[in-house]
Amino acid sequence: MPLWLREHRWHQTPAAVFLSLPLRGARATPANIFCSERYLKVSIPPFLFEAILYAPIDDTNSTAKIGNGNIFFTLYKKEPAMWDSLTLENADKEKLQHIRENAVLKAQQKAREETEAKKATQEEHKKYALEATMKLEEAERKRIEDLKEKERQKVTEELELWRNQQKDADKYKSIQKEGELHQEIGQLKERRSEKITKTRIPNEGTSKTRPKPTKGCHGSCSIFLPNAKEEELPAPRSAATIKVNFTPRVFPTALRESRVAEEEEWLHKQAEARRTISADLSELEDLKEEEKNPDWLKDKGNKMFAMGNYLAAVNAYNLAVRLNNKLPLLYLNRAACHLKLRNLHKAIEDSSKALELLTPPVPDNEEARVKAYVRRGTAFCQLELYTEGLQDYEAALKIDPKNKNIEKDAEKIRHLIQGTMQCS
Amino acid sequence: MSAAPGLERPQVVSHAQQALNYTVFDCKWVPRSARLLCLGSAARGTGLVQLYELRGARLELLREIEKPKPIKCGTFGATSLQQRYLATGDFDGNLNIWNLEAPEIPVYSVKGHKEIINSIDGVGGLGIGEGAPEIVTGSRDGTVKVWDPRQKDTPVANMEPVQGESKRDCWTVAFGNAYNQEERVVCAGYDNGDIKLFDLKTMSLRWETNIKNGVCSVEFDRKDINMNKLVATSLEGKFHVFDMRTQHPTKGFASVSEKAQKSTIWQVRHLPQNRDIFMTSGGSGSLHLWKYEYPAQRSKKDSEGAEMGVAGSVSLLQNVTLSTQPISSLDWSPDKKGLCVCGAFDQTVRVLIVTKLNKI
Repeated sequence: MPLWLREHRWHQTPAAVFLSLPLRGARATPANIFCSERYLKVSIPPFLFEAILYAPIDDTNSTAKIGNGNIFFTLYKKEPAMWDSLTLENADKEKLQHIRENAVLKAQQKAREETEAKKATQEEHKKYALEATMKLEEAERKRIEDLKEKERQKVTEELELWRNQQKDADKYKSIQKEGELHQEIGQLKERRSEKITKTRIPNEGTSKTRPKPTKGCHGSCSIFLPNAKEEELPAPRSAATIKVNFTPRVFPTALRESRVAEEEEWLHKQAEARRTISADLSELEDLKEEEKNPDWLKDKGNKMFAMGNYLAAVNAYNLAVRLNNKLPLLYLNRAACHLKLRNLHKAIEDSSKALELLTPPVPDNEEARVKAYVRRGTAFCQLELYTEGLQDYEAALKIDPKNKNIEKDAEKIRHLIQGTMQCS
Repeated sequence: MSAAPGLERPQVVSHAQQALNYTVFDCKWVPRSARLLCLGSAARGTGLVQLYELRGARLELLREIEKPKPIKCGTFGATSLQQRYLATGDFDGNLNIWNLEAPEIPVYSVKGHKEIINSIDGVGGLGIGEGAPEIVTGSRDGTVKVWDPRQKDTPVANMEPVQGESKRDCWTVAFGNAYNQEERVVCAGYDNGDIKLFDLKTMSLRWETNIKNGVCSVEFDRKDINMNKLVATSLEGKFHVFDMRTQHPTKGFASVSEKAQKSTIWQVRHLPQNRDIFMTSGGSGSLHLWKYEYPAQRSKKDSEGAEMGVAGSVSLLQNVTLSTQPISSLDWSPDKKGLCVCGAFDQTVRVLIVTKLNKI
């Protein structure tokens, strides 16, 4: 239950109402005061003062002064008239409520409008600032342009001056030339008259052709001058040739540093491709078509192997490898031949190469890989490198665990190893 | 970049430009005048030579000459100041020398090469240097030939590949070391990065090197002095400056290289009035102005006591982007310091002025 503050005092003039409200010890801040056109409220919990004003006031211009335990309101009336009393006495509760609500709404609206107005003014200020900066920059730019323009004009004037000088110089020269020309003609005529017996110089005719006074004399006077001039100039050089070697470059385009890496790669690939296609053309010319086919050669090799002619098989496989060195089966089979021929190191090499080519290890090439491991293992064992041999056999077993032969052989090798270890 | 220090550097000011309706391959100032020539190829496959005069801030077309084959390059280097004949190389391998007053019939003509003449240079003319006037042409057929306008049909020197060797395109040629009547060298750059220096007095190969990128342009800083510096520009935005005063028996010439931009550097041209300043033009449509600084000692002895050159350093004075297409040709005016013309593949020729070159 709020404590009503009722000890207020007021007096009025036709234009304003002055209200003084003692605060009984409470401290007031502007937030506690709520004022709208017809409604005035001061709420400092637990104190409360409200007044439904007799007539509307101008709440934007009205003021409230807080101080000395007092709030002093100066309310400017909307219509200058004398009020009977400060508040509407005979207002019932509902009306009061209604007026209160209205007041609140109105206050909110006012607050909104105020914020909008503030925003608008802020934008105005920003725009103004922007325009001001733009103007400054524009001025700066103009200044620089003016300086440049002045330079330009100065230079243009100099140029004009120089050009005119040139023109005058040209004219002067051409007049001089004419004078000289006359002199030359005179001199030559004298000389010719002396050398009557010598061959006639048919220059006289040309001296008459002087179509344009200024320019033409340039052309014709040169016919006179070269005779004199050529004696000063050295004779044309004796012709010779210098042979030139260029830094080699495969491509017909110009050399660019940034393209060098690309070009190297391309050349490398080309070289690779060419190597596999035509290994040694001179030898292959003797062979028939089918003999150039690696697969046909492989079959031939297999047949030789079956017949027991291991050397011939190796030859067939060699040729096939030269034609296409990317077929693992060729190496595999050649390894088998080498085993039979007891070329154990070569057998190891070939099995290793076959295994390399048989990557990635997929079910498709299981069989081939097993064979490769087994052959290599055999070769190791025959070289008495039993541990390596065992490794290969175990690898083979891993791929194909069901193969009894391999198991048996692996066991044998293990025994052998254990045997040797026991002995030593 | 703040305004004050920026404006102390040389500025490249665009003075005039002209839109053309053909592809311009080369542009050259006519010596002792405010006129310039544009050489190129018209859309219908014929060659064009246009003569412009610089009037105020505009270029005015004085004359247009059409030839049957597109023209790739031209030079005034081998003519006298009075004659001012233009030597051109065209797409068919013909070398022609024209009198621009009477351009119907060439003064000298020879089918010098089997393929397009990529580059041409002349020496001995224009009152510069001594010795016979000569023209050198470099072609896609891998040969470099030196011609004397007084000798018809056969070159006075022919640098050709050894029999059976596959040829490389010669992209650029330049004369140098022509300080007296006998001495002369020709420097040639090829598309496989080879740079070869031929000595015409001894008719031999004096030096060669490979700069790992196709060589787009070579130029000596001066043709008519004891060879001092050689700038070679290449693909991939690099250029090399060689100090040509000291040749080491195995290492050749010392050099400093700079990577200016990502695109090809099409041309290098030294300022005629100051041989340590040069401009490079790039495939991105930009121009860079460089200054070379000599080292404290230009040569030193190596471990075996042989003389070895020391390269200096290069600093960028200014750069500017004029176009989106490569600037393929560049020429300084020999008469007015700082005036230059450049032609780009956007079918525009621009006259530029470089300011403040006196203060460098």
